[in-house]
Amino acid sequence: MRFLILFFALLLSACDQAPLVQSQSYVFGTMVDISIYGESEEKAHAVTSQILQSFQRLHHQYHAWQSDSELSKLNQSFAAGKTPVEISPEFAQMLTQVQVLSKQSEGLFNPTIGGLIGAWGFQRDEFTPVEINDATIQKLVHANPQMSDIVIKDNAAYSVNPAVRLDLGGYAKGYALDLALAELQKQGVKNALVNIGGNIIALGQHGDKSWRVGIQHPREPKPMATVDLPNGWAIGTSGDYQRYFEQGGKRYCHIIDPRTGYPAQGAQAVTVLIPPSPQAGVLSDVASKPIFLSAAEQRAAAAKAMGVDHYLVVDAQGGVTLSASMNKRIHWLAKPAKMTVQ
Amino acid sequence: MTRMSTWTKPLIGDFLVILVSLVFVGYLFQSLWHHEQAAKLQIRLGDKIYATYSLAQNRSIDIQGPIGITRIVINKGKARFARSPCPNQYCVHQGWLSHQGQAAICLPNQVSLELLGGEKPFDSLNY
Repeated sequence: MRFLILFFALLLSACDQAPLVQSQSYVFGTMVDISIYGESEEKAHAVTSQILQSFQRLHHQYHAWQSDSELSKLNQSFAAGKTPVEISPEFAQMLTQVQVLSKQSEGLFNPTIGGLIGAWGFQRDEFTPVEINDATIQKLVHANPQMSDIVIKDNAAYSVNPAVRLDLGGYAKGYALDLALAELQKQGVKNALVNIGGNIIALGQHGDKSWRVGIQHPREPKPMATVDLPNGWAIGTSGDYQRYFEQGGKRYCHIIDPRTGYPAQGAQAVTVLIPPSPQAGVLSDVASKPIFLSAAEQRAAAAKAMGVDHYLVVDAQGGVTLSASMNKRIHWLAKPAKMTVQ
Repeated sequence: MTRMSTWTKPLIGDFLVILVSLVFVGYLFQSLWHHEQAAKLQIRLGDKIYATYSLAQNRSIDIQGPIGITRIVINKGKARFARSPCPNQYCVHQGWLSHQGQAAICLPNQVSLELLGGEKPFDSLNY
């Protein structure tokens, strides 16, 4: 009889529907996916809509090619001269954080190359081939804009280099993830998963299991692996397969090497896994870029400089290199033919 | 030892064993058989689920998105973007989706496809 009760208990639990509330919307020119577990549907919808409103605000305030955004106005004042312009405390804080990260990456993460990104046609909603003008690119590289050119003091900023054009495309989604996590915690939500254009942060877990995410295969329409995201962890990928155009049989992706002014060619995708910290979201967005832009033998050092232990690289030929700590966490759905653990 | 008495007097435990077996078979039928058949295509438009279709059919579906009409084709167990008004056509180049968990997105027209099977192997996709 005891066995019978146990059996029916198991049966009932198998039928139990998990209280998962999911929503999908489009912000930052990409898809935003928010899953909340274990809250009433009403509360989950209220918190989701609040987070989406914050995302919309960030999107408009820090938009790189809408001339009336706070960021565009700062870019205009950088070009005009060295007069400090008042900026919001949040913006000042963001720029300070970006300066630290850019220095850490030895300039490989450089969000002041808005001029180059525009020249390659990636400051648009669509990516159609552009006419590649070497002279323009050389001029933009030679102007050498850097985060360290920006002087931030008392919520005002100016640039000592008029070529500085901020484009926070490689940072804002990560910042939004950290903001979302803080908001969820403030509202008392215990379990949630937020995905902004592929960058994901986890809060709590999905029922009695960790949140699990799939890692997209860079050349096939399917995930190549899964990884569990414990509470507070974040994951981010820089890939050449979401934003790119092809011309003359060559792929030009949106990740521009600030040293050459040309799109990076050395990798198909770089994924980083970031442990809990107040800037886990930001790091999941930013830290993959320096690794993506580094030569194969420099990638481990680039990861270390960004404080990243868990990384996975799919190189231009499709070969996979990953750190030992990443190797322990990853579950392959299709094991790569060529794989190196470093 | 009379053999007859054991045959004529089934105990309550015997009925329970039979009952449990029947329920168990029913449960297995539900969970295994049902999920094998549950290959479905979920289409989203913007932030809403537009529709969920069985993959076991041949049909095409036209969806009016923000920039025009996207055509989705289902062909016996697989599905794809067949035509899209977007300029870069990444969604169409993704080709046929046939395995559970596969997904394709058209950001410009805000249409996304996802193949649903039984249990999803993950909660969200990193790309």
